[in-house]
Amino acid sequence: MRTRALLAVSSAAVLAAALAGCGSGSGSSGGGGAGNGQSITLGTTDPVTAVDPAGSYDFGSWNIQYNIFQRLMQVAPGQSTPEPDAAKSCDYTDSKTVKCVLRPGLKFSNGDPLTSEDVKYSFERNIGINNPNGSAVLLGSVTDSSNADHPKLASGAIETPDKNTVIFHLNEPDQTFIEVLTTATTSIVDHKVYPAGKLLPDAQAIGSGPFTLAQYKAGQQAVFEANAKYQGPDAPKVSKVFVQYFNDPAPLKSAISTNQIDIAWRTLSPTDLKDLEGSSQVSVIRGKGSEFRYWVWQTTTPAGKQLAVRQAVAQLIDRDAIAKNAYDGTVTPSYSIVPSFFNQSNDAFKTRYGAPSVAKAKAILQKAGVKTPVTLKLGYTPSHYGPNAVDEANELSDELNKSGLFKAATASAEWTQYQTLYKQGAYDLFMLGWYPDYLDADDYLTPFLYKGGFYANGYDNPQADKLLSQERATTDQGQRDKIIGQLQDITARDVPMIPSWTGQNVAVAGKNITGVDTTLDPSYIFRFWVLNKK
Amino acid sequence: MSAAGGSLPRYLVQRILLVIPMIWVVLTLVFLLLRVAPGDPVSAMFGGKLDAAAMAQRRHQLGLDQPLYTQYFHYLWDVIRLNFGQTLSDNRPVIDVIRDNGGATLTLTVGAFLFALVLGIPLGLAAGRRRDSFPDVVIRLFGVVSYAAPIFWVGLMLVLLVSPTGWPTFGIATAETQFEVPTRTHILLVDAFLSGNGSAILDVLQHHVLPCFTLGLLLSGVFIRLVRVNLLHTLDADYVEAARARGIRERYVVRRHAFRNALVPVVTVLGLQVALTLAGAILTERTFNWPGLGNQLFVYITQRDYAAIQGLVTFFGVVVVVASLLVDIVNALIDPRIRY
Repeated sequence: MRTRALLAVSSAAVLAAALAGCGSGSGSSGGGGAGNGQSITLGTTDPVTAVDPAGSYDFGSWNIQYNIFQRLMQVAPGQSTPEPDAAKSCDYTDSKTVKCVLRPGLKFSNGDPLTSEDVKYSFERNIGINNPNGSAVLLGSVTDSSNADHPKLASGAIETPDKNTVIFHLNEPDQTFIEVLTTATTSIVDHKVYPAGKLLPDAQAIGSGPFTLAQYKAGQQAVFEANAKYQGPDAPKVSKVFVQYFNDPAPLKSAISTNQIDIAWRTLSPTDLKDLEGSSQVSVIRGKGSEFRYWVWQTTTPAGKQLAVRQAVAQLIDRDAIAKNAYDGTVTPSYSIVPSFFNQSNDAFKTRYGAPSVAKAKAILQKAGVKTPVTLKLGYTPSHYGPNAVDEANELSDELNKSGLFKAATASAEWTQYQTLYKQGAYDLFMLGWYPDYLDADDYLTPFLYKGGFYANGYDNPQADKLLSQERATTDQGQRDKIIGQLQDITARDVPMIPSWTGQNVAVAGKNITGVDTTLDPSYIFRFWVLNKK
Repeated sequence: MSAAGGSLPRYLVQRILLVIPMIWVVLTLVFLLLRVAPGDPVSAMFGGKLDAAAMAQRRHQLGLDQPLYTQYFHYLWDVIRLNFGQTLSDNRPVIDVIRDNGGATLTLTVGAFLFALVLGIPLGLAAGRRRDSFPDVVIRLFGVVSYAAPIFWVGLMLVLLVSPTGWPTFGIATAETQFEVPTRTHILLVDAFLSGNGSAILDVLQHHVLPCFTLGLLLSGVFIRLVRVNLLHTLDADYVEAARARGIRERYVVRRHAFRNALVPVVTVLGLQVALTLAGAILTERTFNWPGLGNQLFVYITQRDYAAIQGLVTFFGVVVVVASLLVDIVNALIDPRIRY
């Protein structure tokens, strides 16, 4: 029996060795003859919800969509203003009307022509499907939400007078709508392929973008091949891009540091990045980011409801120390609710409070008759925003305690419990993070301030609400910039929240990879078409 | 003695029928525990983005605002019709998740068992033969340490050790292999063999080494101790003494008499180790970014994806129950002393 067992094992070994000499098997790739024949492998920890634009609202999904679909407008690398993509122009004809003219002769990768009908269909199905994981909420300006359970495209909202013209009639004036046209939620799908009432299976995705989706294995990898039928300004350089999905930063770091992958993008911790900077195999490439970290006051707690307390903390917070001690200098202190890469940003907190000062904070509290030390509970969540969140919370707590004016303690909860707790007033001041949907200052204002913000912290300022409506509606850019400045000033005065920092868009790449620096910008769109391999 | 053939079929039928209430208990426990834990799929995905009204609307769409008993009975009714539903976080039929990711867990666990047997049984045998000697002490220590050491730590240490050599440290294959091998059985190793692509086969096998060894090390600790203890017990048996008295050399006594009988309890424990292996697989898969069910389950738990968690846990439960059942059958067949 033992002899037979040994024989079986050794036979298997011989078989394996023999098969090693066999030729390669048949491939499963489709067509696609564009690109220079090179392939690049990118690793990321961003999970994918759906490849169908109607079913997702997350980085992982959107980055697939940005590369396989076209939209009417796009954000070019390093830019913040929309530029034509599938459309050759999109302009406001009045405050509630946007007219787009498509480039002629566009085709999907299956050869079907891309026309205005597909554009309208894409919006209509996205709104109608209203997938719980989707981002149809961004299309509110053309949505009829009278029946909340069955929203639909507003009647007459999209007009297609000919096959190359699309006219949007908005529910209300909305100066951010052209920005919305750059988001993945407005990706144009083939009306002959995508069903009206449900999502298309991921592996069957068809688009007109620079790449086609040649293979999709959920949670494992997606394979992109250069689209030979693509017509647009973004012709790919490489023929193939493999995206491998990692469940944890640790194997991602290991993979990039040993060149098992070419690029690692999202999300390695500042500590990992610092470690990789010393490597001779890879380069850590940093671009401007738009990730935003901020502290929110729960204005219903005894401490949070006092304006003087909020202002005193705003006076004391040392953002430079937080950036250095908690994040190894990899983030940029932010002094306004609108990050500094927007030209409307005015560093309102710096203007109002200047450098951190215990004396000034004390004066604020004394003037208001607030007894010190003020007890404060700072809330944070330990894993959702990365491992350094605890360091930031501790740093802020130390700063407040060292002033002698506060008795601050930190408390944490896992992400899903955290959301319930902060809304229930478990913390006086709690940490949140933000990524914009599109690059417009409004996306840092309306979600935080309008009717108390999405986090419902009890802050209610009708003046701010009115200004928000005005800035979205006005077509006068100068007037809009002025209103945005006023909103920042109001935020610095009322301190419903305290901005902390803006992050960088960071990737790690092998020394032979080019183009990565081009695409690292505040949009967080990873554009495969700019990548190349030396 | 009563005939094993008469009572065994009845026993097997009883065991199979017992699977149903066992699965129902597992399902109910998972359902309740998930609902008791804070959060839900909507808050996990959109908590930092949408206001309360928008989140409530999404919860309503997913039926999460229905009374608990309504959700429970809907789910049970679906399970009875073998409809495990759709995952909430990534819109996949749960059956597809099991199909697409089950193969990776299967090859990982089979490979781990092989490593464990190859490592554990000879070492257990060696330790049993040299009772209380220095090799015995070393082997026993090794068995304890390999069982006690956290899998993720062992895995990370191995990754650090082999990284400079260029040996693959994550995933089930390179991206190119996964792209080139046509999917037939959804078990990549098998598909690679079926494709006849030699480099793909080697690539997949190479990727299996570290994770299987890591998980196998945990199991080997169990086997070392088990084989050693059972061998010692068997070596004290009367028939072994009788064999020695007949002048048979010690080497043959151990190999032909004691060792085979010592292995019988190992077969029993093998079935119990299935549960341990699946639990260990979750950590192993996380450490090596292995695309198996354990990894997926972890992801779905962090996303509070009720449908996915319920479906996968049920599947794991069925696997453990079936494995136990098979072990009982094998035991009854190989050991005539077992009666029901």
